[in-house]
Amino acid sequence: MKNLEKLLSELQVQKLQTQTRRHFLRDCVSKVGGLALAPLLFGCEIGKDGQAKTGLNLSERDLNPLAPLPPPFAGKAKSIIYLHMAGAPSQLELFDFKPELAKLHDQDCPESLLEGRKFAFIRGVPKMLGPQATFSQHGQSGAWVSDYLPHFSKVVDEVAFLKAMHTDQFNHGPAQLFMQTGSPRLGRPSLGSWVTYGLGTVNQNLPGFVVLTSGGKTPDAGKSVWGSGFLPSVYQGVQCRSKGDPVLYLEDPSGMSRDLKKNVISAINQANQEDFESIGDPEILARINQFEMAYRMQIEVPEVMNINDEPEYIHQLYGTQPGEESFANNCLLARKLVEKGVRVVQLYDWGWDTHGTDKDGSIDMGLRNKCRQIDRPMSALLLDLKQRGLLEDTLVVWGGEFGRTPMQENREGKVQGFKGRDHHTDAFTMWVAGGGVRKGASYGITDDFGFSGVDERTSVHDLHATLLHLMGFDHEKFTYDFQGRPFRLTDVEGELIRKIIA
Amino acid sequence: MIQFVFPLFGRFHPILVHLPIGILLFGIILVFLSRKGQNTHLASIRLAFLFGGMAGVLSSVSGFLQYRYEGFTWDSVQFHFFLGLATTATAFWLYYELGKKEDFPSFFKAKSAALVALLMFTGHLGGNITHGETYLIEPLPAGMQQLLGYETGENTGPKLPAEGWEELAYYEHVVQPILNQNCKSCHNAKNHKGELDLSSYEALLQGGEDGSILSGGDAEASALFARLVLPKEDEDHMPPKDKRQLQKEEIELIRAWIALGGKTESKLGEADISVETLEPFMEKTEAPFYPSAEVPPLADETLKKLKTDGFFAETVDKESAWLMVSCVNYGQFADADWTKLKPASDQIAYLDLSGTQVTDQILDSIQSLPNLTVLKLNETDISGEKLSALQSNPNLKNLYLNKTQVSLPQLKALQNHPNLAKVFVFDTPASADESGGVFSFLLEKGNYRLPPLPTDTIVY
Repeated sequence: MKNLEKLLSELQVQKLQTQTRRHFLRDCVSKVGGLALAPLLFGCEIGKDGQAKTGLNLSERDLNPLAPLPPPFAGKAKSIIYLHMAGAPSQLELFDFKPELAKLHDQDCPESLLEGRKFAFIRGVPKMLGPQATFSQHGQSGAWVSDYLPHFSKVVDEVAFLKAMHTDQFNHGPAQLFMQTGSPRLGRPSLGSWVTYGLGTVNQNLPGFVVLTSGGKTPDAGKSVWGSGFLPSVYQGVQCRSKGDPVLYLEDPSGMSRDLKKNVISAINQANQEDFESIGDPEILARINQFEMAYRMQIEVPEVMNINDEPEYIHQLYGTQPGEESFANNCLLARKLVEKGVRVVQLYDWGWDTHGTDKDGSIDMGLRNKCRQIDRPMSALLLDLKQRGLLEDTLVVWGGEFGRTPMQENREGKVQGFKGRDHHTDAFTMWVAGGGVRKGASYGITDDFGFSGVDERTSVHDLHATLLHLMGFDHEKFTYDFQGRPFRLTDVEGELIRKIIA
Repeated sequence: MIQFVFPLFGRFHPILVHLPIGILLFGIILVFLSRKGQNTHLASIRLAFLFGGMAGVLSSVSGFLQYRYEGFTWDSVQFHFFLGLATTATAFWLYYELGKKEDFPSFFKAKSAALVALLMFTGHLGGNITHGETYLIEPLPAGMQQLLGYETGENTGPKLPAEGWEELAYYEHVVQPILNQNCKSCHNAKNHKGELDLSSYEALLQGGEDGSILSGGDAEASALFARLVLPKEDEDHMPPKDKRQLQKEEIELIRAWIALGGKTESKLGEADISVETLEPFMEKTEAPFYPSAEVPPLADETLKKLKTDGFFAETVDKESAWLMVSCVNYGQFADADWTKLKPASDQIAYLDLSGTQVTDQILDSIQSLPNLTVLKLNETDISGEKLSALQSNPNLKNLYLNKTQVSLPQLKALQNHPNLAKVFVFDTPASADESGGVFSFLLEKGNYRLPPLPTDTIVY
């Protein structure tokens, strides 16, 4: 009993620590008046069913935070596959065709572009760098795609391009955080967490939000890009290993039967449950759920995460190499996971930071190699989702965290050994496809150098607002109370990009 | 005197008006704090009325200058102006009344109260000029607004039907609504900035301080259009850069109207504009995906029962009664388990039985779902023999038969289904069948390939 009191007083202290000025101000307004009114309006809460309430008003959702919920309105999409090219691919070599830029190749960058601008590495007056790829128009929509993506050029009619995206962060970490959480600073929930929080998960044996990485490294911003921020941690992305067993210790150890394991887990959970009932910390529920999820995952994960049983033509379509860490494998896994009811699959592929400091980071060689790694898999993913009818209600998003400059990078004022481009925030290309997206659309126009958007510019918040809309949320009403005020994924901005909505 | 001084002083009016309000209120508060026979505050009150009166003079003068230089009409400011003068005069009169007396004059509290009333009413009229007459009404709930006799309709811009728009009057249905939404708040009969009123065609023809703004047939020469397309930084750009900007379609519509002659008689169909330009203003009459029929929502207990039985069961959205049911965690589901779904027959609009033990018999049961819109039977033992049963599900739109034994001829049984739009038959005998055939729905066979390219293996 003494211990319990100790815990309760600790809880009280913790509660007080999270009280902020905003709580105080809000309570000043609402509670003082409420004090006077409450007895008149509601009578006395205590004693209704014979005992005082503990103050915990638990819904079914609190006890099972991943239980499915209906969206506020019927969205066209039920799941998202987000392909994030960490490092930021060059829009000028892939989608944003700028013949005028070729004419300026190797000439000094006009002053007007540099005035009042800051770049990550470019100093002084850099040279312009013409497109290093050959462009042509493809499909019914006539979308411009370069020869870097020959397979993708066959599926352009499925996607909608956003060609005048812009962000306000020119360093990878903050820009990735901004792209994934709506804020360049740590502490906000990622897009996937918001969606999982809002909709729960369909398949109770799999996590709602799965993360897979390729390219040898995880994103610069670290795991916060799939973190849950101030949302309960049960909504964060579950990273699976890209090589070997996707989840460690899935198999029962020798001498430990599944029944015995179940007994252990239910005993632990019972203890945790009691703990929760006295303390009321939702993180305990997250813990209980993780134990249960881990147990249930043993049923489904070995099958869903195993690409070996896929037929040969599927492997050929994606270009998968079972056993290796590859973007292709991850694309195939993403399809399998979505097929089994996972809400959000987030793929990160590292290696797109093409500054021209070495061959791998050059836009005429390294970038071609990187494109080769994703071209077939991402095109295959779209086709595979399409033939299974999954593209009807699955959103596919592709893009980096920013774009690249129309100028040749001149790090430390020196000419680089290879052709490369610096980070660029003002204009870059992304594409979305699938559930509720207008096929073959192109939105946004950049100037003759591809430096800035001149029409139909779209911000990161606009993209988030649109993705949430397609999932059935009004981004202005989808909020979570934290530190005394409601928070949104889009903060106080974001407008729907209506022209890419079918 | 230097020319800018008067207009500049005029612009201080919104600040200066607060001086008499504050000072006079302070004096009046002291009046009411004083008990009978107690006159400790008397000197302060006199001072307050003196300074309040002087501040009233400053306010009135600056207010008059603002009226002269800022494009307000006399009609809209006259009452405010005269009441301001009256307030100032009253303040001085009360100051005079107090004189050097030792005690309050008769009825002084009543006179002070009258001054408060004057002050408040003057201030309110001033607020109406700057913020608009509906400023205090707008935050009220719609019902209360109507009770007070205000229209609650907003200026939402043009609203066009998807069909028959060609016959609509261009000015009335497109141009005026655009002006109402974007321009009228500053350019109306009462508050005409730049001496311009855009609330009607007749007023528009009058032009503004720089003369006519419309020259029919020549958009570039018409300020009505030309100012819209000036760079945003240009000080002549309209609307001012901190206000809502016109969409490019709206600008294009204004241009096309002027090019057409700038007359009220023109029809929308006569103009040289593309349908895409009009699209953003068309009311979308998109049919909802799920049936429009109304059914009572499923009882909570029934929904709970479905969940405990092992189904995924949720409504398609928070408001809807339509139910999504999936067996994603219920692979053992077989034909005999249908009874568990029966209580929700009317509500089920989306049914996913993929990967379950169901056979052809299940189609007989599925027949009883009048509102079924999406049906997934992937990876089941469906042979395709009984597909014709689905003709009894009039609302069915999307049918998934991937990885079943369905053959192409069997799909003929679904021909001319009233609503069926898409059928997916990836990895079935039907998808391998090359014989083709025309279907009344979109048949997705899949089998996509990305043939190898020579470049696939090049590594730089």
